[in-house]
Amino acid sequence: MSADASRLGGVRTLQRAVVADRARWLAETLGIVAIAGALLLAFSLTSSQFLLAENVRNIFVQISVVGVAAIGETLVMLAGGLDLSVGSVVLLSEVISADLTATHHLAWPVALLAALGAAGGIGLLNGVLVAVVGIEPILATLGTLLVAAGLGQRILGLRYLQVTNPVFNDLAVKNVIFNLPIMVAVMLALYAVVAFAVRTTPFGRMIYAVGGNRRAARLSGLSLVGVTIAVFVIAGILSGVAGFLNVAQTGLVSQNDGMGMEFQAIIAALVGGLSVTAGGVGRVERTLLGALIVGMMTNYQTIKGIDPSFQQAFLGGLLVAAILADRLLRGRQ
Amino acid sequence: MSAVRRRLFAKSYIDTWFLLIMTLVLLGVFRGVQPSWLNGQTVQNLVIQNTPLALVAVAMTFSIISRHIDLSPGSMIALSGAVVGLVYTAQGSLALAIAAGVGTALGVGLLNGFLVAVVGLNAVMVTLAAYIWARGLSIGANNGDPIDVGGGLATVVNASWHGFTLTAPVVVAAYVGGWLLLARTKMGRYTYAMGGDPTAARRAGIDTSLYTILLFLLMGAMIGISAVITVGQLGSAQSTAGLGLELDAIIAVVIGGTRLAGGEGSIGRTALGVVFLSILNSGLLNLGLTDDYFQLYRGLVLLSVLSVQIVVRRMTDEEERRKREQEQLAAALAAT
Repeated sequence: MSADASRLGGVRTLQRAVVADRARWLAETLGIVAIAGALLLAFSLTSSQFLLAENVRNIFVQISVVGVAAIGETLVMLAGGLDLSVGSVVLLSEVISADLTATHHLAWPVALLAALGAAGGIGLLNGVLVAVVGIEPILATLGTLLVAAGLGQRILGLRYLQVTNPVFNDLAVKNVIFNLPIMVAVMLALYAVVAFAVRTTPFGRMIYAVGGNRRAARLSGLSLVGVTIAVFVIAGILSGVAGFLNVAQTGLVSQNDGMGMEFQAIIAALVGGLSVTAGGVGRVERTLLGALIVGMMTNYQTIKGIDPSFQQAFLGGLLVAAILADRLLRGRQ
Repeated sequence: MSAVRRRLFAKSYIDTWFLLIMTLVLLGVFRGVQPSWLNGQTVQNLVIQNTPLALVAVAMTFSIISRHIDLSPGSMIALSGAVVGLVYTAQGSLALAIAAGVGTALGVGLLNGFLVAVVGLNAVMVTLAAYIWARGLSIGANNGDPIDVGGGLATVVNASWHGFTLTAPVVVAAYVGGWLLLARTKMGRYTYAMGGDPTAARRAGIDTSLYTILLFLLMGAMIGISAVITVGQLGSAQSTAGLGLELDAIIAVVIGGTRLAGGEGSIGRTALGVVFLSILNSGLLNLGLTDDYFQLYRGLVLLSVLSVQIVVRRMTDEEERRKREQEQLAAALAAT
């Protein structure tokens, strides 16, 4: 009898936990949407330019590169890791795609494939170093950050590369949905696909399982090595896509491209409400909102003529606010 | 004799022996590639070039042992330096400028410590935010241009005795002090306790909030001293000062054999890690490599050493680990 009662109690506890979980999820999602909405309202009331179609388009174009890189960073963080090599992989991918199209006059799909191959290769190296060798993610990806940046700058040499292939111009200029160019559509499509896949496929559940409780995941027969490597490879490829888009946005490649983009991606994920302690909590689509909030703030401050260095300072402040909000919503862990 | 030998070659020293060998290999390679690099001035130059790294690594050892990694030192060195420059420009008093710079470093350390210890935020994220905003402010302080502080500070910091500048005794003092603090005081023992098991430490009656804040203040102090020395060495405050220093310090600590997981480590290991990384940095710089090869070689050396270190470590406690995991698995199965 007592066993039955305790089992019943267990079910009730579980039900309560599920309800609480739903409520918390709703609060978090609504919270981040509300913050984005409040900022939108405040900015559009205080600046007549902010909501102009041209400016909205600018915001989306500006966030599309970091936005795509942040998808990969989100997946890695969901799995309990961290990827510092994002910016360097973006540079490497930029250099390869620009060099192959502009210097070697190859077709753009070939260049894109080569760039994504290299980016995926760095991701594979990250995954092997973390999952097989056992180096901490922050140190392993710091090492590959140096390697990828060195490789990219070596290929680039001490020069700028200007791209001539029309595909880059099309990506940034040709409008497909509403007033938004192809590169924005690419970002939105990637968010839709990855968010859907993470929620519905077994692989998506595995990412959460590995990030949430490593030991339980292993004991229930999941391949930690496989999932970790796959997540890092996907993140690498997404950084490669971000690099290709960045070439489109700027039209040229220079040595410092991509520098620090890993931190912008991490900020987008954190502002979007990713769990900051251990992984296993968070949603891919919320990272898009995080990137949008950061993009709106940057854009607004630029309109108001605030110096970029102080914009960076405000960004740091925003990050503190985001983790404070996260702490208040989720409670001490 | 055999007891001494057994102790020297015990498993806990495997990392140390490995890194010592790696350091010698590195010295040999640099000596082979460019024989002139190893001369009477090498040690002096290593100390002069790597003082901020050495100082921050002492505090970083405490941060990592207590599981509160601090990512702010690089940016904070630039910001504290900028404060030194701004106050000196405005007031003309060097003493006041130094006090303001060190005060800034301590103040931000206190703020970070408060956010982590009292509010309960994650240390990596709090200090990542500081990494970003402090760099922004230090660039904004003078539009990214250097702020001149005159020759007074440079004369003191660069005054040399047999090629050693004033920084050498500062570094030695920091390591002796850091070792005493970590190995011989209550605060040191509490640092290990908080890193090993934070909940147990709190239940054992340790005021974890207070000691966490003290650890962030220790980092603030090291940042303040490093900032003053950096400004003195260059004769001006620069917004790019300390770029990437936090990650270098973490690497030095980890390569020395301290685990990122927290709860264990020592100042001696960090010293060895700093020596290794200093030789790597200075040796590569001395080869006159372009930026691309510099980064590539640095990345490859660090990844190789970290990988081999783990393989060596794993070979030595493979047997122990297997036994432990089997026990855990059996316990987990028995519980279901």
